Amino acid sequence: MSPIRCLRSRTAIPRIRNSTSRPRFVAFRHSPVPRTYATTNVPEDIYDVVIVGGGPAGLSLATSLRSSSVASRLRVALIEGLDLDAGRRWKPSSDNYSNRVSSLTPGSVGFLNDWALMREDIGVWKHVQRNRVQAYHGMQVWDGVSGSRIEFNWGAENPSTIAYMTENVNLVHGLLSRLEELGGAQPIDNTRVEGISFGEDHGTLDLRTWPVVQITGGRKLAARLLVGADGANSPVRAFAGIESRGWDYGRHGVVATVEIEEISGAERTAYQRFLPTGPIALLPLPGNFATLVWSTTPEIAAQLKKLSSVDFVAMVNGAFRLSHVDIAYMAKMDAAISEEYQWRQSVTPFERAGVPSTILGVQENSISSFPLRMRHADSYISERVALVGDAAHTIHPLAGQGLNQGIGDVQSLIKTLETAVQTGQDIGSTLSLEPYYSGQYLKNSMMIGVVDKLHKLYGTASPPVVAVRSLGLRAVNAMEGLKSMIMKQAAGER
Amino acid sequence: MNPLVRRAIRRTGPQVKLLREFPKVVSASRFAPFTSLSRPPPNYEGHVPLTVPERGLLAVGSAVMSLLNPRRGDLIAALGEATATPYFIYRLRDAMLSSPTGRRILKDRPRINSTTVSLERLRSLPDGTVGREYAAWLDKEGVSPDTRSQVRYIDDPECAYVMQRYRECHDFYHALTGLPIIVEGEIALKAFEFANTLIPMTGLSMFAVVRLKPEERRRVLTTYFPWAIRNGLQAKEVINIYWEEELETDVKELRNRIGLERPPDLRKIRAELRARRRAEEAARESAGH
Repeated sequence: MSPIRCLRSRTAIPRIRNSTSRPRFVAFRHSPVPRTYATTNVPEDIYDVVIVGGGPAGLSLATSLRSSSVASRLRVALIEGLDLDAGRRWKPSSDNYSNRVSSLTPGSVGFLNDWALMREDIGVWKHVQRNRVQAYHGMQVWDGVSGSRIEFNWGAENPSTIAYMTENVNLVHGLLSRLEELGGAQPIDNTRVEGISFGEDHGTLDLRTWPVVQITGGRKLAARLLVGADGANSPVRAFAGIESRGWDYGRHGVVATVEIEEISGAERTAYQRFLPTGPIALLPLPGNFATLVWSTTPEIAAQLKKLSSVDFVAMVNGAFRLSHVDIAYMAKMDAAISEEYQWRQSVTPFERAGVPSTILGVQENSISSFPLRMRHADSYISERVALVGDAAHTIHPLAGQGLNQGIGDVQSLIKTLETAVQTGQDIGSTLSLEPYYSGQYLKNSMMIGVVDKLHKLYGTASPPVVAVRSLGLRAVNAMEGLKSMIMKQAAGER
Repeated sequence: MNPLVRRAIRRTGPQVKLLREFPKVVSASRFAPFTSLSRPPPNYEGHVPLTVPERGLLAVGSAVMSLLNPRRGDLIAALGEATATPYFIYRLRDAMLSSPTGRRILKDRPRINSTTVSLERLRSLPDGTVGREYAAWLDKEGVSPDTRSQVRYIDDPECAYVMQRYRECHDFYHALTGLPIIVEGEIALKAFEFANTLIPMTGLSMFAVVRLKPEERRRVLTTYFPWAIRNGLQAKEVINIYWEEELETDVKELRNRIGLERPPDLRKIRAELRARRRAEEAARESAGH
């Protein structure tokens, strides 16, 4: 009888070599050869979970694997191409905010928080710098052509946060701190993935169905489950042969950190105005700061980046107050926009209470832009592969749902993996991963679809469309029940 | 700036000065609903805010009465203001905002009346210039630039100015196209203005063809309406012409720049027809003797 060697992991199903027609069982007790614990001559490093990508989604997954009582026995590695030290050693100053800011729903924060009532929290929120997180309780959304408006305000009898504005680097810093606190996972940063292939048959160990990741330096990691958290152009998704379908919006998102006029005691509110070229949003940050996200045409985005800071501030103030015809004209001007804005805002009627406070200045070097697109992968799973975050789906930023969808994916995947571990399944098989795919796909698909239709609906100034959508918006604004249902849905409460 | 024209320029520099002239509308462009017993304060001097039924009645009443008596310029003006909102006057204002010249006009807000336009200087301009044609046309038709009533029924001050500007430039459009102020000529010009500016009153004025004699009506429908629609649609927006700066331009050159062709001379056609009819009548009478 040839000796049978198998992997030590309890979740592994031993691969039996030389199996005859009769299956052999209980090789552990009846092995005639003394067992050895030395690894075989396998050139790959063997992991249960290899996560490619050290962004918020990948780090959340690594942290949740390490903090879960059931899944913490899994051997986890995380590969990230950039330097994670930037997040680890992050020392922010109070008058400077990063321009990459995300809106985290209470559902996402509940998952990250260890004070929440949810059982599946991963204890990250206490590591996030809370004084740099801004919760907001009100939201004003209005049509840039007709002025019809919808207001979201959790009422006085049920004061509750709509979302938390968190800098991405703050969240990453919190995740890294928590990961270090938990220990056990190996974040391998400054390392690129050179290639992904299937492993080989090593005689006693058959890795032909296992993905093997080759990283800079020649090291190879074999993964029972390879998780792609590596962004919109995911190499893991390409390796798995999963198609990602969608379209480019032909729009760029311009982001900037701005300083606003002091607002005395007013509730922190988020503002979004739908212009025909794309929505502009101003979201509050602690102190007198706010973050700007303006989805607009590539020409206007390029022009905005060329303006002086005085003109840029005038353009943004004008984008919330002036008519869309004015804004389109001023977006083509190279200079003297500030004077033009002064004149136009003196003759344009607008609701004082419905627009954000005047923007006074823009933080240096904080204006940048990125192209907007919509993508959805055909499947989130494949044999021994799972996708989370932007690798699985990309969405228009107008509803602030992108990162929240990623964290929702992680929440669902960790539940699925815990179930698989507890029932002794192979975590990499599609049978075990199927609940993750079926649980998340429809939800994400609906959110992506709704946001896409909103973008298309508000992307025109044609009078009949404007009339119908304004009527609809005013009607929804009048229905409190419908509004609270929408807010609960968007808050990610499960 | 054209030295020939002294104009009252409303400077928009210091905020305080503007507030004295045009108080800023603090609510949205539409007033909160009000009744005739509790009218909100006016947005500018002479402004009369109207309720929706009041505006409807004004539109219907002025339409009927101006059809019965097309010489009532004040009723036609009231019809224009009553039917301009919603949408149409805003569209015209947006057309001005989209053009650099239009924006300058909105910023400067020049007015055309006998104090700002000096007719003696215009008469001394060379023949063929816009100013000379305008002065000659005013003299021939026997009208003065002061005959235009003030805008009263449009709520937004900027749109009220746009309407006022359209009204004051109407005589320039006569000079540009050469159409006389007889009813036939006015209807033809109104058709052109409708195709170009989309002001509803100009479109409604086209119905005044029912008042014409059959021969005039045939002439308008077959010659002048097609000319008006074709040119109104293909020409640039005439509301964006800064007339105060174009007074010394050659009329033909201005027409070329706008993309406008001259219609057949209406007065000449009518004079020729009258002469021919008189000759025929004289011939018939002499034959009858």
